[in-house]
Amino acid sequence: MSLQLKLGERYKEILFSISEVALATLIGIGISAIFIKAGGYSPTSAFFYLFKGAFGNLYGFYTSLSYSTPLMLTGLAFALSVRAGLFNIGAEGQVYIAALGAIIAASLALPSYLYLLAEFAIGIGLAVMWSLFAGILKVWKGVNEVVSTIMLNWIAYWVTEYSRSNIFYDPLSPDRTIRIPITGRLPILVENTQLYSGIFISLIVVIVTYVILWKTALGYEIRAVGLSPSASKYAGIKFSLVALEAFALSGLFAGIAGVMETIGRPPTYAIVTSLTNLVNLGFNGITVSLIGRNNPIGIIPASIFIGGLMAGATSMQIFAGVPLEMVQAVQGIIVMVLALPGIIRLIKSKVRRR
Amino acid sequence: MPPEKEVAIEMVNISKVYPDGVLALDKVSLTIYKGEIHGILGENGAGKTTLMRILYGNIKPTGGKIKVFGKEVSFGSSKDAIKIGIGMVHQHPSLVPVFTALENIYLGLPSNFKEQASLKELIERTGIKVPLEERIEDVSLGIAQKVEILKVLYRGAEILILDEPTTNMTVEEVKEFFSTLRNLKKMGKTVIFISHKLKEVLDITDNITVLRRGKVSGSLPTSQATPEELAKLMVGREVFLKLEKQESRPGEKILRVEDLWVKRNDGSWAVKGVSFEVRYGEIFGIAGVEGNGQSELIEAITGLRRAERGKVFFKGENVTNAHPLKLYTMGLAHIPEDRQKMGLILDMSVAENSILGIHRKRDFLRPMMIFNENKIKEHVERLIHQYEIVVSKINAPARSLSGGNQQKVVVGREFSKTPDLIIASQPTRGLDVGATEYIRSLLLKMRNNGKAVLLMSSDIDEIMGLSDRVAVIYEGEFMGISETSSVSEKEIGMMMGGYKMGEIGKK
Repeated sequence: MSLQLKLGERYKEILFSISEVALATLIGIGISAIFIKAGGYSPTSAFFYLFKGAFGNLYGFYTSLSYSTPLMLTGLAFALSVRAGLFNIGAEGQVYIAALGAIIAASLALPSYLYLLAEFAIGIGLAVMWSLFAGILKVWKGVNEVVSTIMLNWIAYWVTEYSRSNIFYDPLSPDRTIRIPITGRLPILVENTQLYSGIFISLIVVIVTYVILWKTALGYEIRAVGLSPSASKYAGIKFSLVALEAFALSGLFAGIAGVMETIGRPPTYAIVTSLTNLVNLGFNGITVSLIGRNNPIGIIPASIFIGGLMAGATSMQIFAGVPLEMVQAVQGIIVMVLALPGIIRLIKSKVRRR
Repeated sequence: MPPEKEVAIEMVNISKVYPDGVLALDKVSLTIYKGEIHGILGENGAGKTTLMRILYGNIKPTGGKIKVFGKEVSFGSSKDAIKIGIGMVHQHPSLVPVFTALENIYLGLPSNFKEQASLKELIERTGIKVPLEERIEDVSLGIAQKVEILKVLYRGAEILILDEPTTNMTVEEVKEFFSTLRNLKKMGKTVIFISHKLKEVLDITDNITVLRRGKVSGSLPTSQATPEELAKLMVGREVFLKLEKQESRPGEKILRVEDLWVKRNDGSWAVKGVSFEVRYGEIFGIAGVEGNGQSELIEAITGLRRAERGKVFFKGENVTNAHPLKLYTMGLAHIPEDRQKMGLILDMSVAENSILGIHRKRDFLRPMMIFNENKIKEHVERLIHQYEIVVSKINAPARSLSGGNQQKVVVGREFSKTPDLIIASQPTRGLDVGATEYIRSLLLKMRNNGKAVLLMSSDIDEIMGLSDRVAVIYEGEFMGISETSSVSEKEIGMMMGGYKMGEIGKK
């Protein structure tokens, strides 16, 4: 038995979610088509290659999965916070700082078998610490987590960028940091694709989080605080403790994502100029979470969908000749439209609670 | 009344049945004369506000006639009521906080509005002085109330309905406010003054109509009214629920409250130096009209609100401002007043709600804090069976339950803690007769088994029927503490209206 709704009753909800995503995608495609047309390109061929690049063949599919690997975790970071009633958008910065942590580990002289461990330990440690900054400000001084995490994101960006260009740069290729040593990398899953073994870690973390949220007293308290602060106070649940737990956990998830992107994704294994291989992983996680209804299980298909969008965008650029800027605009439009229903729901529930 | 008095309002046989079948008003008739201050008195839920909202056009009566200045009227909305000169001032001022008093008065005037008297003139004549340039959020609630009255008068109201206008006022403000009302009366305005405060009604009104459970239980000129009689009319003579009540055998003190001071959210004092004790084997009742500080008192005792001054001892230990969890582990259970906001998490399932607050109890957990779902299932099914909770399945959200069944979940859960002291706030509010009796019998059983009960209720019958000793709270202070057997319901009613126990005998 489960304390949750039974599968039969969930069907409706799932069907509704899927049709919502489908409708949003269509609207997003429609709006983007106008832009593409206005730019003088063919919307049909652009979207043909978008789809083909994402799910049209095995290679595309693996690429999509590889992009979904970190998004699952950053999506989870946001979802868990929402469950605790927090609007924590700090995963973006925590990803940077975790990646930096992995590079710091790589810069150390260690026995080769220790690199993996050190990368995860330092990267996650930094990310959790980063997240807890916002958490402590929240419970200690009541600082709104939206404001603090946005600021921390920028600090993380410049700290990482400065470290990349001034401390950990590769003398042979100063546009990026030193690379992760071979023994410190995650194995590639499918040769000649970007799909690396990190996806299993992501999936395990998602499932464990699901269990924590719905099958343990810890998750019960997180959800109680998110659903009714007054009732959880009555139940003797300590808000500050639960909030700190939520911040720490979401820092943990974002940290794993940041480390894995750096030590798992071929061929770079480093942080590059302007952190372009990390930027937006955290923010896209918000979209993933909203599409997945802030439910860990829903986040799995949602992250694959957004991963596909990212993979398809590359193919759209190469094969349909749409310039990068336009591709990014299209991506932005679709992501935005997709996130809308979730955002509206989130605002509604906040308003209702008042 | 002298015959030349003009009738302002005549309501004949007004009935109101709400869609859910609740009979809020049962053939209520009343006559209000022009230029008088007419008091409408009654307990919470007696139908005062419903009646006035009908007069103001907010809601439609199920039956009956309304005549205003001799003409029969039927209001589609309150706009129609305003047009013929009826204005209503609600308990909570409906003003825009960031606008100034002046802006609020002018706000929403129709474009073809013709002023009968300039605002300045109006202020002079009525003597309602308000700082027109101050923002509403910066002024006291008493002043906001005045602004609202001014706003209504400016729109040409001849008949003013004031719904519990003094709730948020200090004693000084009330005095000043009453002189304003007398001014209005001199100007020939008709004022309907809704209240449950006996003292105030006796002080300011010319005639009084008392409502009880949707019916007029009495109508009389104020000059002939005594507080005793009004209390009797308000509370009624109906017999209490008859419960088998054994002789109480009170034992040691379990809870002791010493000179407790508690603030409301807005920073004003809700509880002003309350002291009492509860003993094993007794039910201690706290009676009072809602909003007189009893909620804050209970919250302070149960660790949900800061006590600013004073001390609370539970089982001899100082637990002032202790964490609720500590109190629970010491043997306290708390049925909170607001089941929807505190007692339950509506979006969680019935099963999840059945362990709220005891979710870390070892019985429900496996290692690693993983829930033992079989144990939880047993627990919730036991509650459902024992308390006859009507629920489709244990996984259904608590939101889907009726109010009575929601309350049973809370009550069942709290009793399942096998507490030594249970603090029950409005435990039977909104429940049907059967559920009410069941919960009351549980409270009595606890007491008979030598445990203690602190019962807070605004239902006099409940307090009188259950408590061994009773305290009445009025504006944050106890008007008196007495053995229930040596105090009459009338006296309780008077204390609820602001008379100290010592004063009653002299009246």
